[in-house]
Amino acid sequence: MIEFLSRRLAGALVTLALATVVVFAVVEVLPGDPALVMLGTDARPDTLAAIRTKYGFDQPLLTRYLQWIGGLLTFNLGNSHAYGTSVSKLIGDRLVVTLPLGAMALFWATLVAIPLGVFAAWKHRRPGDWGVMGFTQIGISVPNFWFGIVLVLAFAVTWQWFPAGGFPGWQEPVKSVHALILPALSLSLGEIAILTRVTRSAMLDTLREDYVRTARAKGATESTVLFKHALRNALIPVTTVAGLIAGFLVAGAVIIESVFRLPGVGQLVYDSINNRDLVVIKNVVILFTILVLTVNLLVDLAYALLDPRPRVRA
Amino acid sequence: MNGFLARASRHVGFEIGAVLLLLLVGTALASLFWTPHPIDALNMRAKLMPSSAAYPLGTDHLGRDVLSRIMVGAQTSITVGLIAVAIGLTIGVALGAWAAARGGWVDEALSRTSDLIFAFPAVLIAILITSVLGASAQNAILAIAIFNIPVFARVTRGAALAMWSRDFIRAATAMGQGPLGITLRHVLPNIASVLIVQATIQFAVAILAEAGLSYLGLGAQPPVPSWGRMLRDAQTYIFQAPELAVWPGLAIALAVLGLNMLGDGLRDLLDPRLRLLRVG
Repeated sequence: MIEFLSRRLAGALVTLALATVVVFAVVEVLPGDPALVMLGTDARPDTLAAIRTKYGFDQPLLTRYLQWIGGLLTFNLGNSHAYGTSVSKLIGDRLVVTLPLGAMALFWATLVAIPLGVFAAWKHRRPGDWGVMGFTQIGISVPNFWFGIVLVLAFAVTWQWFPAGGFPGWQEPVKSVHALILPALSLSLGEIAILTRVTRSAMLDTLREDYVRTARAKGATESTVLFKHALRNALIPVTTVAGLIAGFLVAGAVIIESVFRLPGVGQLVYDSINNRDLVVIKNVVILFTILVLTVNLLVDLAYALLDPRPRVRA
Repeated sequence: MNGFLARASRHVGFEIGAVLLLLLVGTALASLFWTPHPIDALNMRAKLMPSSAAYPLGTDHLGRDVLSRIMVGAQTSITVGLIAVAIGLTIGVALGAWAAARGGWVDEALSRTSDLIFAFPAVLIAILITSVLGASAQNAILAIAIFNIPVFARVTRGAALAMWSRDFIRAATAMGQGPLGITLRHVLPNIASVLIVQATIQFAVAILAEAGLSYLGLGAQPPVPSWGRMLRDAQTYIFQAPELAVWPGLAIALAVLGLNMLGDGLRDLLDPRLRLLRVG
């Protein structure tokens, strides 16, 4: 168990190290002169030189890379070019919007997808199953940002039950949760579809097992068979996929936050791109990567706790 | 082939998918020759109009015909999707087939690299690439293509590895054929159906990604019409002209739905054993 997890941790750290190299290459090496990217081609030579000195773009690549890594390890990420404030504070202020948004979407996705998947497996190859599968097909195909816009049309423009966008801040908790409901719904659509399919196929696998037949033979009620015997074992692949999804929910938030004008990390990325604020961009991308890797590690941990087999295989 | 058509005619999902894809391609082709109005014809007196006989889907904030722009938008989606998938397919299949044929460090290096790419949230890297290189249709294609490479590499590697353990390939090896010859003559033709299915699904993913990027303003730039960009503009006027936000989204959803259903249908029809090949 410990060996399995430490091996996974080591793997994640190697991936993270490589990720920093890739991000550094894309942001600071690929464009040629990062100062030119930040200020535009019509910038005056003396302002360009000032920016190069300020952000250390005149230093050798290796020095710049190592300084950045040192900064990451000590949470000293430098100052944003556009906002002038510390990048760590900037990201921290935005995470309080993005993390609850992702959590709400994931909560909602599991709440809807697991019962739907169980239902579809229970009604296998009957109209109920086709209906659910048809719904998942649509859920995968509809762009989540358009779903968000449609939700705004229905619930903000027509009925005015929810705000069309914006975020009041956590000093007003009820209003804040209210403002996150539509964004979380739109963010969760695709994830509901995927998770429903995974739950359905995992349930179909477990419903074929001998212990399910035994439970039925013992005279267990249908709901006991479905939820106690079959679902419990089907939850193993479902957890894995839910974890993978969780990482990507945070990234999907970039577009959804833009739809609903939420001041989250996604909006920060978007603004930083428009402001050409490379300092913020590279750090946010690494932060997202760390989030995805952490979630994957947590999934491995959950997996190891739920199912003893992978410990042996690893 | 006749057997395939006969089975295809009984597969409802495949048929719906095929009809939707024909509609998409037909619209794009038709728009090359004809649109109800010129796509850039500004008419400020007729801006934000609801549906009418002259403008079946209404007009946008500059008085341009929405139907015409959606028709031409199909071209943008198809072009970006096709090129991105073609690049991903060519490089990914080559890498995956190489890893399967060669094994050892090549295989290991390829698997690690694709793990690394999968660890990044795709949207974010696409945003990163387009923001550094500048927002344009070409850079959107590049960003989407990069994510297609590991998907195709993984699928090819997996399918090709299974082929390499088959007897007829062992026989070909014994007869002295080299790995490149075997890959081209025996492995690739036998895994083509897997690749076709994956390509269809990646095409759908690419259209979604293009829509997302151009919604953020990072895809095709004005005046080129693109569905994502139209949605972005429509959102500004959502209170004055709510319908504007409906049509481009519906176009994206139908195009992606068609490709997804076609892909799933093809998978059932070409090889019923292929399940859960959805990667990325």
